[in-house]
Amino acid sequence: MTLSLTYFLISLFFFTTISMHAVRKNAILVVLYAVQSLAVVLLLMYGAWLDQSIILSIVALFALLVKTTLIPRFFGMLISKNLITFSSSTYLKLPITALIVAGLAVLPSTHVFAPLLAIAPQHAHEIAFSLGAFFISCFMLVNRRDGMSQMIGLLSLENSIVAFAFFAGLEQSAMLQIGIIFDVLVWVFIATLLASLAYKQFGTLDTDTMRHLTE
Amino acid sequence: MTSTFAIIAQLLLVPALSPLFIGIIRKIKARMQNRHGASIFQPYRDLNKLFHKDEIISSDATFIFRIAPYMVFAVTLVVAISIPIITTFIPHFGTSDLLAVMYMLAFGTFFLALGGIDVGGPFGGFGASREMTISALAEGGLIFSLFAVSCMAGTTDLLSIPHALLAYGSTATLATVLAFFGFCVALLAENMRFPFDNPSTHLELTMVHEAMIIEYSGKRLALMEWASANKLFIFIALGANMFFPYGIAASADLSAVIISLGILLAKALLFCIAIAVIESTTAKLRLFRLPDLLFLSFIASSLAIIFTI
Repeated sequence: MTLSLTYFLISLFFFTTISMHAVRKNAILVVLYAVQSLAVVLLLMYGAWLDQSIILSIVALFALLVKTTLIPRFFGMLISKNLITFSSSTYLKLPITALIVAGLAVLPSTHVFAPLLAIAPQHAHEIAFSLGAFFISCFMLVNRRDGMSQMIGLLSLENSIVAFAFFAGLEQSAMLQIGIIFDVLVWVFIATLLASLAYKQFGTLDTDTMRHLTE
Repeated sequence: MTSTFAIIAQLLLVPALSPLFIGIIRKIKARMQNRHGASIFQPYRDLNKLFHKDEIISSDATFIFRIAPYMVFAVTLVVAISIPIITTFIPHFGTSDLLAVMYMLAFGTFFLALGGIDVGGPFGGFGASREMTISALAEGGLIFSLFAVSCMAGTTDLLSIPHALLAYGSTATLATVLAFFGFCVALLAENMRFPFDNPSTHLELTMVHEAMIIEYSGKRLALMEWASANKLFIFIALGANMFFPYGIAASADLSAVIISLGILLAKALLFCIAIAVIESTTAKLRLFRLPDLLFLSFIASSLAIIFTI
């Protein structure tokens, strides 16, 4: 049962990470990020329950508030305020994107990453999924032209690191975790503000187009 | 109830219920469009009407045009007794292997396309061309999605897979989800549903399946329509029993088979609702966009196999 719950959560996490590459609507992207974050938060809650730690439970609740409520709310406001319904296209076409995502998903299972999987052999599959999600999120950062998708890609990357740390047993102290989550919240606040200003100025969040624009 | 009765039950069940599912999908679509819609039994009335109509066959038609509807319909019946629909307690004829079933379905599609191009009409020609393009691209995703569950079950015998999967356990969640996604895309493509084709249009720019059967009339058209409904039911049954193998009868016990039938109908209804919702909320994709979606299905199914192994 223990194995099934963590496996289910990391599977959900991984599936949402893959799905982010297939969707075009920004609103769905935000929902996928919220579901992905929920999977991570549930993992943290599960860890807190196993350790019978109140302070870790508070960290998990803080993560729940920030990652599944506040951040999606910020992005929702950005979408509705600027009417950014659809994200811009990707640099690579969907079949090539899917092929690369498949390759990146399998990459952590190769012998190159065996030392990392050996950190916690009982969670080798989960660590492989976390690393796969890490690579897929990195790929999202470079493949998407849209600024908002890149922001979500970065947040997905952060979630992947949290999931990896959870399964590898590399969790830091509760105060440090709260600090990181607070940093993420501040970063999202500033990033959405900057994105909103950039959209007002240039009328687009397509980074490829913005490169050719001048004041 | 012996295994012979199980075969007869499945053989009769597929053609008996398949028009009902078409009617249910149409009814749900109508309701979603704020229309009252025809009765869910309308497809039965349509088939009855067609069976009582005279046929007009082109003077250019060869014997292929005449036998194609029988071949296409017969294939669906052979597949119906080769896959687990209400029970797995069916004698093995060697046709229940995964690849055998896939190639039987491809055989039916082949005759459907031959029937379409036989009379030399332009509609039949482009319809067959589009159908074969989509089928060829969907084949990979379909075979790989079912192969993923075969890998979990350790057998390619479709009749053995459901119970082997139940014993496999819950660690296959992600692989199952990916394979199911791949299968669903292939289901829509193989049955020419949205976003691959609009089953209710006769607009020359968009039609695929309807273009192939446009030269048919009367009894042969009825057989083609019925075979198409059978194929959809077969795919729904495959999806319901391969990916959610709960409730399927492992023996030929009458009560187990009746419970299994009830569960299958419930699962099939969910599939019908999902298809109707997809058809009501998505637009038909351009032909050149279809390979992207089918390739995604193939990749998802391939990933499912890798995660299973």
